Amino acid sequence: MVILEAGVFATILVGFLGTLFKGNLIMKIMAMDVMSTGVIAYYVVVAAKGGVFTPIWLPGRAVAYADPVPQAVILTAIVIGLSIQALMLVGVMKLSRYYPTLAVRDIELKNSP
Amino acid sequence: MNQLTLIWIALPFLLGFIIYLLPRLTRPLTLLAVFFSLGYGLALGTVTTPVSLRLLDHFGVSLFLDGLTSFFIVTNALVTMAVVLTVWESEQTPFFFAQLLILHGSVNVALASTDWISLYVALEVVGIAAFLLIAYPGTERVIWVGLRYLLVSNIAMLFYLVGAVLVYESHHGFDFVGLRVAPPEAVALLLLGLLVKGGIFVLGFWLPMTHASAAAPVSALLSGVVVKAAVLPLVRVALLVPAVEPIIRLLGVGTALLGVGYALFERDVKRMLAWSTTSQMGFILAAPEVGGFYALTHGLVKAALFLGAGQLPSRDLTELQQRGIPRYLGIPLGLASFSISGFPLLAGFGAKVLTMQNLRPWQEWAMTGAAVGTATIYAGVFFLPWTQAETRLPRGLGWGLGLLLGGLWVANGVYYEAFTVANVIKPLVIIGVGWGLYWGIVRRLREHLPAFGEQLEHLLGMMSVGLVVLFGLAWGW
Repeated sequence: MVILEAGVFATILVGFLGTLFKGNLIMKIMAMDVMSTGVIAYYVVVAAKGGVFTPIWLPGRAVAYADPVPQAVILTAIVIGLSIQALMLVGVMKLSRYYPTLAVRDIELKNSP
Repeated sequence: MNQLTLIWIALPFLLGFIIYLLPRLTRPLTLLAVFFSLGYGLALGTVTTPVSLRLLDHFGVSLFLDGLTSFFIVTNALVTMAVVLTVWESEQTPFFFAQLLILHGSVNVALASTDWISLYVALEVVGIAAFLLIAYPGTERVIWVGLRYLLVSNIAMLFYLVGAVLVYESHHGFDFVGLRVAPPEAVALLLLGLLVKGGIFVLGFWLPMTHASAAAPVSALLSGVVVKAAVLPLVRVALLVPAVEPIIRLLGVGTALLGVGYALFERDVKRMLAWSTTSQMGFILAAPEVGGFYALTHGLVKAALFLGAGQLPSRDLTELQQRGIPRYLGIPLGLASFSISGFPLLAGFGAKVLTMQNLRPWQEWAMTGAAVGTATIYAGVFFLPWTQAETRLPRGLGWGLGLLLGGLWVANGVYYEAFTVANVIKPLVIIGVGWGLYWGIVRRLREHLPAFGEQLEHLLGMMSVGLVVLFGLAWGW
C-alpha cells in the first residue's frame, strides 16, 4: 500500500515537473494530464484503504468493501478534466496557425505584457 | 426560501441552454435570469436565519447562504446586469450571452457551496466559461491568454483535489469545517488552489495580463465577480477554522501592499486597474468578517472602471494626461475613483471604515499604507483633463454605468453609522496624503517593474514555492 501511494505521488510530481520543464505547449498539456492521472489514482488508493471489494452491497455478504465516496467524487473530476483538456487542445489548434512550433517561449516573446 | 434557493441555482443554467434553442429571445432571457438573481440576493439579505441545505445525504452537496453571501450574490447580479446592458446593442452572438449566464450561474454556485467538491466543480465551470468569454474575439493574443489562464488554474485545482481527499480521510466528509481536523498539508493544498483562483499575493501574477487583455465587458466581469468566486470560500474558511484565520489575514495584508506597489508603477490603464483588483482582494481578506460589504463596493466600482476604460481613446496614462478624456467618461470614472479611494458619500467610504475597524493591531499600519496607495493610484484617473467631445456615450454603456454608480449610492444605507466626524476625517487625510504623493512623486515616475513573474513557467514555479510556504505557515500556526 505504501509503495502504491509513493508511486501515485511520484506520478503527480512527474506531471507537475513536466508542466514546468517542457517547452512545448502540447507537452505541457499532456504533462498536466499525467498529473491529473496521478490525482485520480490517489482517490482510488484512498478508496481502497479499507478494502478492495467492489462496493455493491448484497445481503449476507460480509467482505471488506472499498469506500464508494471517493470513487464517486473523482468520477466528476475525471469528466471535468477531460472537457478542459479537450477545450485546451482546441485552443492549441487555433494557436498553431500563428505559431507552428507551439514553443511557449516564442509565444510569450510576442505576447509579453 | 429553500425552494427559492434551488430555483435560483438552476435558473441561469436552464435559461443559458434555452438561449441555444430560442436565439431570438437571447437578451431578454439573460436579463430575466440576472434580475431573478438580484431579487434573490436582496431577499437573502433581509432573512435573519441563514439558509442551510444538504442535498443527497451525508456525503452530498452542502449549501450555506447568509448575509455575507447575499453581498456577493448582489455584486454578481449587478455587475452581470451592467455588462448585459452594455453589450445589449452590440453584435455579440447568442453564444456569448449563454456563456455569460453560465458564468453567472457557476459563480452563484461557488458562492453558495460549503463543501470542497461542489466548490471544485463550480470553480472549474467558472474557469471554462471565463476562458470561452476571454477567447471570444478569437485573436491569437486572447487565445493564448485564455489558455494560460486555464492551464494555471487547472493545475492549481489538481493540487486542491489532493487536499480535498485529505480532508475526507480525516473528517469522513467534504465539509469546510473538516479542515479543523485535517493535517497541515491539506490546508496548504486547498489554500493553494483557492489563492491561485482568487489571484491572491504572488500566486495571482496571472491576473493582470488576463484581465487587461480581455474585452472591456469581460474584464469587468472577471475583476468584478469571477475572482470573488474563490475569495468568498477563503473568507468562509477563515471564519470557520480559527487556525487558518491569521494566515488569511496575513495574506490579505501582503496582497493589498503588493497590488498597490505594482499599480503605482503601471502606465497602462487596464493593467493598473487589474493590479488594483489584486490589492482590493487583499482588503477583503484582511478583515474577513466584514469582507462582504467591501466586495460589493469593489465589484461595482471596478466593473464601472473597466467598462469606462474600454471607451478611452488610449490605454496609456501618459498619453491620456496630454490628450485628455471626454467629459462623459470623466464624470463616471471620477465618481468611481472617489468611491474606491474611500471618499464620503459613496459606499466605498463605509466599506473602508468598516474594514479598518475590524483589523488586528498588527495590520493597521500596513493597511493604512495600502489605503494611501489606493488614493494615489486613483488620483491618476481622477486628475485626467476633461475635453469637450463630439461623440456621445453609447446608450447601453450609459445604463450600465448608471446602474453601477447608482448601486454605490444606494449601498451607503448598509452602514450609515459610519458618518461620524472622526470617521470622515481619517479618509480625507488619507486621500490628501495620497494625492500629495501623486502630484509630488508618482506623476513623474517613468520606471517599470520587471514583469518576468508573469511568464507561464514562473507562474507554475511559484505554485511549488507557495505550497512549501503555505505548509510552513499551516504547520507553524
